[in-house]
Amino acid sequence: MDDRIRAILDTKLNAAVSRRSFLQGAAGMATVTMLGGTLPAGAQDAPKLGGELNFLGWDGEHGANVAKPFLEANNIKMNASFQSAADEALTRFNTGGRGAMDLLTPNKDFQLAILKANVELFQPLDLSRIPTAAGLWPAFKDAPWLVRDGKTYGIPMIWGDEPCVYNPKKWDAMPERYTDFADEKYKGQLVLLDDPFGNIWLWATSLGMPEPSRLTAAQLQQVVDAMLKVKPNVVTIGASHGDMADVLVRGDASIGIGGWAYQVMIAKEKGVELTVGSPSVDGTFYWSDAYAIAVDAPNIDNAYAFIDFMTKPESNAALATELASGCTVEAAYPLMDEAIRGMFPYDNVRKPGGGILGTQIVVPPQEPDGDIVGAPAWVEAWQTFKVS
Amino acid sequence: MASSLAKPFRRGTSPRVALLPAGGFYALVFALPVVALLVLSFWTANGFKLIPGFTLDNYVKILTSPLYRALMLRTIGVAFATTAIVVPVAFALAYCMRFVFERRGQMILQIILLSLFSGYLVRIYAWRTILGKQGLLNSTLQWLGLIDQPLEFLIYSNTAVVITLSGLLLPLAVLPLYSAMLNVPRDFLEAARDLGAGKAYCLRTVLVPMVMPGLRTAFAFAFLLSAGDFVTPSLVGGTQSLLIGNVIADQFRGIGSNWPLGAAMAFVVVAVMLCSFLAVVALIGRATRW
Repeated sequence: MDDRIRAILDTKLNAAVSRRSFLQGAAGMATVTMLGGTLPAGAQDAPKLGGELNFLGWDGEHGANVAKPFLEANNIKMNASFQSAADEALTRFNTGGRGAMDLLTPNKDFQLAILKANVELFQPLDLSRIPTAAGLWPAFKDAPWLVRDGKTYGIPMIWGDEPCVYNPKKWDAMPERYTDFADEKYKGQLVLLDDPFGNIWLWATSLGMPEPSRLTAAQLQQVVDAMLKVKPNVVTIGASHGDMADVLVRGDASIGIGGWAYQVMIAKEKGVELTVGSPSVDGTFYWSDAYAIAVDAPNIDNAYAFIDFMTKPESNAALATELASGCTVEAAYPLMDEAIRGMFPYDNVRKPGGGILGTQIVVPPQEPDGDIVGAPAWVEAWQTFKVS
Repeated sequence: MASSLAKPFRRGTSPRVALLPAGGFYALVFALPVVALLVLSFWTANGFKLIPGFTLDNYVKILTSPLYRALMLRTIGVAFATTAIVVPVAFALAYCMRFVFERRGQMILQIILLSLFSGYLVRIYAWRTILGKQGLLNSTLQWLGLIDQPLEFLIYSNTAVVITLSGLLLPLAVLPLYSAMLNVPRDFLEAARDLGAGKAYCLRTVLVPMVMPGLRTAFAFAFLLSAGDFVTPSLVGGTQSLLIGNVIADQFRGIGSNWPLGAAMAFVVVAVMLCSFLAVVALIGRATRW
């Protein structure tokens, strides 16, 4: 058999087979047989999968269950480690991780900050190697946090918001504003996430600041003062969403601010009922996580194949269901259970340009911009809040 | 061959040469990174970029900021409280293992070491399970009818941080103390008692001075490790439990981070903790002089 045909058959036979890809594969096989020795040059370079795939991202986004058949079929061993902060990938990259990191899962604000600052971390993606990306919702095809100079740096896999997660046996609904949490009835009931940007942004919004991600020093102080009024009601500050869920499940607090719908699933597995809801006037902010490939990734073929597999409608629907998040692939939507897809306003992602996700910026500028303070000032303000 | 085994070094070989492998390893994995961190502490940061230079601004900011001063004092307080629990308990345990249950000493040591086999995070979460509002301790006290409401200070508080750190560090403090006590002949203590020394006097003037190296090491483990810990305050601490280690960690995390400031903080903490450590060791030395 011609070596080129053998290479293609190897790839096809070792790939995970869904009903749709099988039909495509069968059709492709006929074409290969007909074309014989006249295959295009690109086919000779069909990537050989197998070996390792290093993942550093949010827990769950490595798709332990969803990606299992793909990884097994291609003899890929995934080395997954999880981040507790959006920027941990950058820290690891700059402290010896370069050349040992493949897949990352940045959130939109972090990815935007990195791309704007021209910092080396993500490599531009060759979309011809991720054909399934054509099926993304319009909002995710040209979103400002994914594209720079016409090049795409990430393929979104889920999206959602950061609502309050609370115990419905204790609370019927959330108050209208985040500043309302200062009421004494919430004493010993609140858990916050250790996230300077999310928290300051929410309280700045609650105080009616016109651009909550661009604050002056005086406005930032005003926000910290408002947050300090709530602090006596806070039990603890969760180190991660998982840690926050643990606090809620143990009953040590009954309301998590800046939570994740996924926490409801975690609690359900442990027999505890939690529900989501946000202050009716203030609302919350939206996020999206994307698969990205690190600069100098050592297992780039595996990384591309993984992203392509995870962006298939079936995979995307399964992952979004597992993580109780919004799906990013249009054809995944009908495959999802209404209970989960109903948690998110999909009208936002039917619009091109990122919709509300594209216009809502949570992270402040890296450096001061005139009177506007930079991110280090937010971090210091958050530390002041935690120490006071 | 036999003679080379009996004599580890050829005549004329300097012991310094023998120290080279260990010294080289130490220089590579400890001294070099510390020097790099020291150099970094004089740089500045701009966004995600580091700007080489020489400025004392980071140190000035740390020494003049009320935020960092408050954190430093809180950290020293938590570290001393932890040490004040760990060292006496470890001392008593080591004493029992050496002089009271001498034949069972090694077995007790193995049991203590066994606790180190479980992961650090697992042990912290275990403490959370014990100390939580609906945890083992509160549930037991409520079941016994000793309390009506859960004792809230047991979890998400500085008390929780001190209890958890004490539990984590106790095995580490027992090891050097037990090792030091193994070198104290029982005859010495008996001779002191025969000569009329009371139990406390014997402890202060005979046992403690003889185990001083072990005591110093136990103190260092308990004090320095608790002062540098940032995971325990994150997981069992409350809204008033942030320690300097947490703030240093924040300075090395991407957005809004400031590596040079974090490096300078690390050196200030090392200096403050070293001074505190030396002061306490000197005090113990003075108190046990006779």
